[in-house]
Amino acid sequence: MIRLALGLTLTLLLVGGEASAADAPAGKAIFDHNCAPCHAKGPGHAGTQRLAQIRGPANAALEDRTDLSADYVRLVVRHGLVEMPAWRLTEINDAELNQLAQYLARAK
Amino acid sequence: MKQILPPGISATDFAEALQALRKIVGDDFVYTGEALAGYADPYSIVADDDTHAASAAVAPASTGQVQAVVRVASQYGVPLWPVSCGKNYAYGGASPRMAGTVVLDLKRMNRILEVSESDGYALVEPGVSYFDLYNHITSKGYKLWLDVPDPGWGSVIGNALEHGVGYTPYGDHFAMQCGMEVVLANGELVRTGMGALPNGNTWQLFKYGFGPYLDGIFTQSNFGIVTKMGIWLMPEPPGYRPYMISFQREEDLEQVVDILRPLKVGSVIQNAATIRSLLLVAAVNATRSQYTDKPGPLPDSTLRKIMADQDIGMWNIYGALYGPPPVMDTLWTVIRDSFAKVPGAKFYFVEDRKRENDLLISRADTMRGIPRLSEFSFVNWTGGGGHIGFSPVSPIRGSEAMKQYTMVRDRMHEYGFDYMSIFAIGWRELHHVVELLFDRRDPKIKHQADVLFRQLVRDAAAAGYGEYRTHLSYMDDIAATYSWNDHALMKLNQTIKDALDPKGILAPGKQGIWPARYRGSPK
Repeated sequence: MIRLALGLTLTLLLVGGEASAADAPAGKAIFDHNCAPCHAKGPGHAGTQRLAQIRGPANAALEDRTDLSADYVRLVVRHGLVEMPAWRLTEINDAELNQLAQYLARAK
Repeated sequence: MKQILPPGISATDFAEALQALRKIVGDDFVYTGEALAGYADPYSIVADDDTHAASAAVAPASTGQVQAVVRVASQYGVPLWPVSCGKNYAYGGASPRMAGTVVLDLKRMNRILEVSESDGYALVEPGVSYFDLYNHITSKGYKLWLDVPDPGWGSVIGNALEHGVGYTPYGDHFAMQCGMEVVLANGELVRTGMGALPNGNTWQLFKYGFGPYLDGIFTQSNFGIVTKMGIWLMPEPPGYRPYMISFQREEDLEQVVDILRPLKVGSVIQNAATIRSLLLVAAVNATRSQYTDKPGPLPDSTLRKIMADQDIGMWNIYGALYGPPPVMDTLWTVIRDSFAKVPGAKFYFVEDRKRENDLLISRADTMRGIPRLSEFSFVNWTGGGGHIGFSPVSPIRGSEAMKQYTMVRDRMHEYGFDYMSIFAIGWRELHHVVELLFDRRDPKIKHQADVLFRQLVRDAAAAGYGEYRTHLSYMDDIAATYSWNDHALMKLNQTIKDALDPKGILAPGKQGIWPARYRGSPK
């Protein structure tokens, strides 16, 4: 059920713009530590590669996406999504997750 | 979300136990309900999602807290399942074997306690990942190399305890560990080897200390909780040259393995080299749907097209040379001339590989200890994320490799799955690590994969092969195949278990070892 909900929320949830400029450096650091090994731009990143396969190259790199809302990022990180496993509170706590979510949802 | 309790523990007692745990670690570090989502195995093969469901998780921040948690668990009879970074994917992730077990999440214990550049070792806690240790070493500028498995997000301690492998000359991770600190089931703290010597300075330098060598009993086991471990690090060599050799025919595997054995045993091949099957290499770059929309085994014409598209072989060796350039030149001459005897063999260095996601490019990192997650993309071959490893061991002998290959390939094709594998070369044996991919969203395919897996275990055992590691769901099945002399080894494991953990607190069911209180009851 969660996976169904995730599929729907991808199209229904808000577009970005929830972040303040001050959150970006912290969010970027959290992204680099936790997410970049799979989701950084360029070749050699399994998540980026998968998103290019199923959603097209324009939607492959999370940091370039303009359709991610903070709520959606939080949902996917905590529950996983198909190939991606869920992340535990000991790996990324709620405060860090909020900073990450705001970074990915920021206006671009 | 329905509440799952440890077997035999009332809701009232469990609530009381959790409250006692909160007093030790703090309210923010005992998890229940929705916060347990990350403790479910995302790639579970079983249809019943509760089979390996945790009742709660507790995350201590220090060894002292681990000791206190164990004492509370013992008082209330609450079973604990220790995980380090929880990334043991394909084998269960952060899930416990038995439903209702409380996960003891050690991720917060993430201190790198020491790195000795001169002596070449690190002393770490369980929550230290390969990424963490690599970043620390590079930030300090130490001339040391780590040895990493394919995915770098896992725990240095956890991987060694599970007998994981990497790809530099230090690829046998447990062989490279030196000295442990262990919390026993009664809460007592023990240091192994030279660590038992007060004020000693050789804990990470000499494994054996004085008396029985005990470190092995704390690996793939449930006899204690490892809270510190030493790991040897390789001095940065003066030169490094990764290579790939491809072979064109299925039957070449036999000749390739027979050529490889004396090269490996004689240290001409210096690292933990691997032979990778066509589809495992192809899957890093491509998806099945690019080649067919039909189920069932891929026809030979399609396999040939994949080989041509990606300039890869039916089998592909990934290895590396280490040392001063003249040494590498000499070793390469021997290796190249040896494998040139196989008709159609092709030899490549990194500069020969032009595709942006080519496997040799990422392996050039992993074979020098730079952690990556690139090869996780192999799960994209069919999509759906599910994957599980079937890992029988054989001698480094061509006839044995071919026998294992044909046995497993035919079964996988019979059940409608693609064959993809790694033959990882150890000092005297081959780990044949077969990857079984499935869509985690499709219960029918998961059931089919489950039936196939159990058949593979039986096939392997009948042929005299045992697996070196397995997913939670198959620990009992595989433990039962190690049955010589009326299961004498399991009886010994149970004797040790009962002596060290009489209340059956630690990791019930790990590797098929059940404490007395759960033995014989259905799980």
